[in-house]
Amino acid sequence: MTQEFKTETLKNGLKIIAEVNPANVTSTIGFFVKTGARDEQSEESGVSHFLEHMMFKGTATRSALDINMQLGTLGAHANAFTSEENTVYYSAVIPEKFSEMQELLSDMLRPSFDPKEFDTEKKVILEEIALYQDRPHFYLIEQASRDYFGSNPLGNSVLGTVDSVSAISREQMIDYFNRRYAPSNITLVATGNVCWDAFLEKAKELCGDWVDRSVDREFISHTNPAVSRTFLKPQLAQGHAYLLSSGPSAQDEDRYPMAILATILGEVAGSSLYWDLVHTGLAESASVDVDERDGSGCMGMYVCCPQDRLDQVIGVARKVVSTPTAFSDDDLDRAKAKVMSRVVMDGELPMGRLMSLGMEWTYRKTSTPLQAKLDRIKMISKKDIERAVERFPLQEWSEYRLVSG
Amino acid sequence: MAFFNKVLPNGLTVLVEEMDHVASVSYEFSVPGGFIADADDRLGQAVLLADVLCKGAGQYDSRQLSNEFDQYGIRHGEGCGLDRFTLAGSAVGANYKKGLALTSSMIRAPQIPHDDIGALKSILLQDLASLRDNPARRAMVELSRRFHPAPFNRTSLGSQEGIDKTDREQLTSLHSRYFRPQGSIVSVAGNVKAQEVFDIVEELFEDWAGEAPAPVDYGLEPREEYYHIDDDSAQLQIVMANRSVPFGAPLYYEGKLVASLLGSSMFGRLFMEVREKRGLCYSVYARHGSRKEYGTITAYVGTTADRAQESLDVMLGEFRRLRGSIEDFELERARTNLKASLIMGEEAPASRASSNASDWWLLSRVRPLTEIHDAIDRVSIESIESFLEQYPFMPCSILTLGSKRLEVDGDVVATEVTE
Repeated sequence: MTQEFKTETLKNGLKIIAEVNPANVTSTIGFFVKTGARDEQSEESGVSHFLEHMMFKGTATRSALDINMQLGTLGAHANAFTSEENTVYYSAVIPEKFSEMQELLSDMLRPSFDPKEFDTEKKVILEEIALYQDRPHFYLIEQASRDYFGSNPLGNSVLGTVDSVSAISREQMIDYFNRRYAPSNITLVATGNVCWDAFLEKAKELCGDWVDRSVDREFISHTNPAVSRTFLKPQLAQGHAYLLSSGPSAQDEDRYPMAILATILGEVAGSSLYWDLVHTGLAESASVDVDERDGSGCMGMYVCCPQDRLDQVIGVARKVVSTPTAFSDDDLDRAKAKVMSRVVMDGELPMGRLMSLGMEWTYRKTSTPLQAKLDRIKMISKKDIERAVERFPLQEWSEYRLVSG
Repeated sequence: MAFFNKVLPNGLTVLVEEMDHVASVSYEFSVPGGFIADADDRLGQAVLLADVLCKGAGQYDSRQLSNEFDQYGIRHGEGCGLDRFTLAGSAVGANYKKGLALTSSMIRAPQIPHDDIGALKSILLQDLASLRDNPARRAMVELSRRFHPAPFNRTSLGSQEGIDKTDREQLTSLHSRYFRPQGSIVSVAGNVKAQEVFDIVEELFEDWAGEAPAPVDYGLEPREEYYHIDDDSAQLQIVMANRSVPFGAPLYYEGKLVASLLGSSMFGRLFMEVREKRGLCYSVYARHGSRKEYGTITAYVGTTADRAQESLDVMLGEFRRLRGSIEDFELERARTNLKASLIMGEEAPASRASSNASDWWLLSRVRPLTEIHDAIDRVSIESIESFLEQYPFMPCSILTLGSKRLEVDGDVVATEVTE
């Protein structure tokens, strides 16, 4: 496989990167905007996600219908997502349609905020909020994050609430767009079977006149004592618990050893939690994850089991993670093999590389070739994990439960 | 890319697709069986059998087997569908050989340890209980249960009674009846050479023998009924089903394309009319699913109760106006998207291994991509009208789950069932 990495920054600050691989049968493109729920004011909760929807609802030269029709005729797999700190618009197409897709996506990033579309789309968002109300796992994680981070914007809800979204005005959304969608806060990425020269030229032509302005993100350090809270939902069959503790940020080098540790402790299968909780039939699922964020991070532990077993299951889970470094050399080798294999397999598809490159640049202003990433994982020793655990000891957990009531 | 196949003397079919541009290899075994193999009062046993395969095989106990897979970085998963068991894996480079060897042990010599069966039953019962916590999944399961004739109306959830009754002896018996080479398929795709795969599979399986029991007939009995289930979920779930063309039969691609132009979640008529124009929902779609015996068109919308009647009326309105209204650009767009999906699927070894296995399972051959492209190109508005004449969207079967029963016209359903 011959891969070539290319990068350039336009005069207005828009960063452009590409990993070109002519052997691929598809091409991907994505705009990674460094903005999300944490960047919202309290009175505009949910605006990042609502705005993401509005990007599909018309521009100066295209109606919402035009955008839909064109996406359809391109045969594009196109979508977008909003998280606490990123909003990403992406698509995969066959190579001969790449240029047209680039033109469409670039135009979509300058929306017209049509008032009628704004009102209709608000109803869609309210339905999406209702949809997630019916998903206990999602509901618990949102409630837990809000409580864990307290007044810190890191705990802001991505969807917002029925009240907050209902109250968002078109003018507020335009103001948010102007504050956050400056070119220097956006990274444009392409991967797969792409012609770099044509991609760059078109980016200059389509995005070169986007006006830059300075964009800040507020960083408020977060420390709070461990708490225990229980949320209630009527007629729930299973009980859920989500526990949070401090973890490495997306810029912290200890994210590598902590990711390997999370695999050892709480990968969905073959981990310590799996053997003690799922293999024994006590819990339907149990996992540990690293939630790396910009300048901050946490470790999350999730279990789902019958409600009358929650005490027992949480007790076992807490016990497992209370001795986080009690693993063997073989456990470490297996965890590394699993993670490396996942990195290779995710990386051989253009869409996997797009997400990896875009997120890495957004968080760390760098890009790591696949092989360098594998070498980094291979080098992780038990000492590295022990050192990381000194900083993130996994002893103090805030515990959130969701049960019927 | 190049495709090869070979049938071993014992009846096991080996499919290989060589893909030079990737580093990984994926494989998928299909073994006859599945939910339809369960006795009526033992629903859930086939799923438990699939789950117990990784709890020890050959010389390895449960933990040793898991460690072996992990040590070689092999992702693996064992599952049970309606009419087959599947055992799949993915690995980087030559590690796939270890994956095939470990999987062959699970197929041929699972330990089915008595001590682990209780835990697996507990997990499956939890899955069954948690259906109540997932209204969208529950609505689909409940409609499927009513729409298809037994045993094709079964799901991966089994039944409390069947799960309770299961023991080691029954799982061992189910395994020995169904895990046979005749009719089984192993499909491999990725950075491999076909001859090497043939040699490995022969070595692992040449002394395997036997044939699984013949599958049962579908016995089509379409129902046009409306069912409502009361539930206090935030959204009201509306699901609909109607029969369609079986896999690979004449008018098959017409069915796929009409489902796409009606129900694609990005540009389909339902998306445009229900979500984009009226903002009635977040999720709305129609899908075409097909098997050897039959096809099904399923449609879904989830919406809050006070907007549910309008959502249903708009969807049924779209079904009613379908015949005679399809335009060239809609067909062309659906065609482009179906072809693009095929091309995108070409890149991933796991998707190729699975798709080749499905083709062989359903047609006893693998359709070359050019054949699929040509068949898609041959679909015309006239041939779609023929499809709609044979498989009209109305009347249909409807199920709602939520806080409100809806009004359904007499031309849509013959009977209303209250539960």
